[in-house]
Amino acid sequence: MALALAENDAQLVERAQSGDEPAFAELVRRHSALVFRLAVSILGREFIPEAEDVTQEVFLKVHHAIGSFRGESEFRSWIYRITFNQAVNLKARVRFRSPHADESVLHDVATSEPGADRQMEVVQRDRALAECIQTLPEVYQSALRLHYWLGAGVGEVAELLGVPQNTAKSYLYRARQLLHGMLKEKGHSCD
Amino acid sequence: MTEMVDPEMRPPQMPPNEVGIDRLLRRSMAVPIPTLSKDFDQRLLREVRRGSRPLDQYRRILLAAYGVVSVVVSAMVMRGQGLDWGVVSGTIVASLALVAITRLAWRATDTTLRHAAR
Repeated sequence: MALALAENDAQLVERAQSGDEPAFAELVRRHSALVFRLAVSILGREFIPEAEDVTQEVFLKVHHAIGSFRGESEFRSWIYRITFNQAVNLKARVRFRSPHADESVLHDVATSEPGADRQMEVVQRDRALAECIQTLPEVYQSALRLHYWLGAGVGEVAELLGVPQNTAKSYLYRARQLLHGMLKEKGHSCD
Repeated sequence: MTEMVDPEMRPPQMPPNEVGIDRLLRRSMAVPIPTLSKDFDQRLLREVRRGSRPLDQYRRILLAAYGVVSVVVSAMVMRGQGLDWGVVSGTIVASLALVAITRLAWRATDTTLRHAAR
């Protein structure tokens, strides 16, 4: 195991290609958390078990196809690309299962506690924001969740989405601009 | 297992017109971060082992015998129904072609992964 820790991904991939299971296990250990983060960022917080399924599916695919990996791109870029495609495909299938908050629940929350009007407004704005996020392009949604929910810096967002840092920055900027406009249209203030 | 992100973490160069939406996003997304199950790696490696185990000799013979018996029985039943040999062989060949197409589709998935690797 100490040997595996000292090796880089390319060396581990080479060993995994010749059927070395501990090498593949080390690749899983190194990358599973980030693959899961990327999957969660695409699927959203309602589909965490599905994100774990995606993570497993990605590594099974990687194991199946590792023999054909030529090393022309970085191993991690390769698995992030597989993850992105896998999660987006799954999202298209599970979208209709998205749970929707019941208005009566919001009303109960708002009327049973002090500052009810303000609280109701905040809940409705958060709900509107969540709905607006769902309408953004997948890469914008993923960039937003990675940055604001999962605490990823711009560099990590860029790496996971396989784009230059400036592009990741512009995804975040464009996403904020679009959300600002959409919330305004729905009659919500951002202040 | 979950952890939280500091909702006040903000890049210093944020333009003033974006501060409101930035604050709103930070607040609305300040929910626990999920992590993988603790036994994820073990479960995955078990799956990998199960998936990569080659068919042993006994299973291969059984599968081949099943294929041959299926073809023979199907041919006999169809002949028993009065179909001529042309239709019987056409039906069998079409079924085998379907199996071959499925295999090709499976390989196409591999090719897609190969392209993704480049």
